Amino acid sequence: MMDAEDRELLERSLRHAVDHHTGADLDAALDGLGWRDALAVDPRTATSSLFELQGAADATSAALDDVLAAALDLDTGGPVGVVLPLLGGARPPGTVAGLTVRGLGTAALARRETALVVASGGEKDVAVLVPTASLALRPVTGLDPDLGLVEVAGDDVGDAVQADPPPTAWDAAVAAGRRALGHELVGVGRAILAMARDHAVDRVQFGRPIASFQAVRHRLAETLVAVEAADAALGAAWDEPSPTTAAMAKALAGRGARTAARHGQQVLAGIGFTTDHRLHRYVRRAIVLDELLGGARTLTHELGQEVLRARRLPELPAL
Amino acid sequence: MDLDTFRASLDEWLDAHAAELAPDHPGPGTLDDHMAHLSTVKRLLFDAGWMRRGWPERVGGLGGSTLLRAYLGEAVTARGLVEPGIFSMTEVLAPTMIDFAPPDLAATMVPRLLRGDETWCQGFSEPGTGSNLASLACRATRTDDGWLVRGQKVWTSLAQFAQRCVLLTRTGAPDSAHRGITALFVDMDSPGITVRPIETMHGALEFCEVFFDDVVVPYDRTLGREGDGWAVAMDLLPFERSTALWHRGAHLHRRMGQFLAEAPAGAVTPAAVGDAALQLFAFRARSRATQYRLAAGDRLGPETSVDKVMLATTEQAVYDLVADGLAADVVLGDDDASRQWRSEFLYSRAATIYGGSAEIQRNIIARRLLDLGADR
Repeated sequence: MMDAEDRELLERSLRHAVDHHTGADLDAALDGLGWRDALAVDPRTATSSLFELQGAADATSAALDDVLAAALDLDTGGPVGVVLPLLGGARPPGTVAGLTVRGLGTAALARRETALVVASGGEKDVAVLVPTASLALRPVTGLDPDLGLVEVAGDDVGDAVQADPPPTAWDAAVAAGRRALGHELVGVGRAILAMARDHAVDRVQFGRPIASFQAVRHRLAETLVAVEAADAALGAAWDEPSPTTAAMAKALAGRGARTAARHGQQVLAGIGFTTDHRLHRYVRRAIVLDELLGGARTLTHELGQEVLRARRLPELPAL
Repeated sequence: MDLDTFRASLDEWLDAHAAELAPDHPGPGTLDDHMAHLSTVKRLLFDAGWMRRGWPERVGGLGGSTLLRAYLGEAVTARGLVEPGIFSMTEVLAPTMIDFAPPDLAATMVPRLLRGDETWCQGFSEPGTGSNLASLACRATRTDDGWLVRGQKVWTSLAQFAQRCVLLTRTGAPDSAHRGITALFVDMDSPGITVRPIETMHGALEFCEVFFDDVVVPYDRTLGREGDGWAVAMDLLPFERSTALWHRGAHLHRRMGQFLAEAPAGAVTPAAVGDAALQLFAFRARSRATQYRLAAGDRLGPETSVDKVMLATTEQAVYDLVADGLAADVVLGDDDASRQWRSEFLYSRAATIYGGSAEIQRNIIARRLLDLGADR
């Protein structure tokens, strides 16, 4: 664990990095300031600080790959890209027979020479390191072109190095990824709220700032409540780490960011609908990050199914 | 005593004394039953020392972190030993007495509340003063004998049981708003006080109207100084939105657990159940952080309005689910369990009204947390 001084130092250098860099440049900046070392020493601080800042700055990096790789805890011989599941689920993106891969990758996947694929379908999950060049990567434009996601496909990539992750490794990696994305969604939500708040205070209609109208105030208040709920849930998901707490926190973070997007869009109104304003980038990011590794709606449904099956609530964080 | 030790030894003690602590009234019981049982439980908890933990020694406490109080309320609520609303009145009123009453008065009175010897009530709302607390009109005038109080309060919880009332009065000019308010600690058996319970849709006579017809209150019963009433109210309300809400969250968790055990298969959708479970989790996480800030000595303020909005929304989500999943019981059932679900469902409709309405909480968030400026 880092002490308070180290944390503050890390946060300051991360803030500088995400404010000035994105993509490959941000990867280099993170390398330079030792973020992966911080991730190994204090995953909570490294993850929560970077991802919230990254979300607020509308930046991208290889950090999600690093978080997943660290949670899989394999000897990868250096940084790797990690193939993500397709939308709509969180099962490993590979299947063992012939090692077929169908998944997604971050923009950083193409920048890394080696890709880590977790595959299921056999007696247990296996993790495979393959040259990224052996996979077909199709850049996704989609809703959020700046995020730079890729679709990943590969057939018979199976003669690569096989590692043997413990049975719970994939679930732990998904949980780590969900916590990271949760913080990024909180950053996105806070950024939208800040934009909408400033606009509401500046924009004058009927001779007064629109921030003085209760309909506007309550939308913004509702947004803060939703974002704070997500933030608190993420704190609890670190205090009591488990796939369940991570899924709940990710669901709340997805909701929070979508609530911010909905209300922020309405408050920013016309200007927020133009590409002159940067709101649209955050609205796009909120939706796509929500869908990655399980969207709020899916996670809520799955949680409900599990609660109904067990006929009991998940254990609550103790005081 | 640290929290872990407290938790372990309290749990053990509660197990060992389960029979004495269990409600002895038949069925769900009436409010009178609950109040009588609350006194019994508080007395047992006080005598064994549990109820004294987390309170300062100068008011009969044993010191220690406020987290101990949060856990005590959680433990007795989660075991169904007390109704959280009436148990938590202590958390609402005692801290303010400790902060504002003359030290001797606090030292005499607070132990009576902790021990369950007395019930206190909170005279804030008035017929013309709901959300706009600073507009209150109940008048207190200086006389040779003390304050002379004339006016009316409404929605005063448990006034018919109460020995004392923390009363907000208008001592400044009628238009002095938050500046001209003074808080008094009033004996409820003073001549001139009339209490009339209000019949509410959930069926318990919890709320009252209280009439003050020339009631004399000695000057040494002033909380803070003349004109400090707004500060008293602002001190009290965050407590109402911290430890007391933590206890309520524990209660909702318990009742949701009981609902899940009873609900017929297929009666509710996974999405609705997942939604309520998420809200309970988020509220718990938020309130937990608040308990730690309180314990660290932070001054709680407008950010507790976020806790209140979350709790009210969660409570309604839980009971909407109950009303769906146990529709036949809630709508038609006349057995004890059905009556209790129905009463709680109806009471949950007020969660966004009492203790500062949902609208007022959002106004506080907008003004104080988002700095959106004045609303007109």
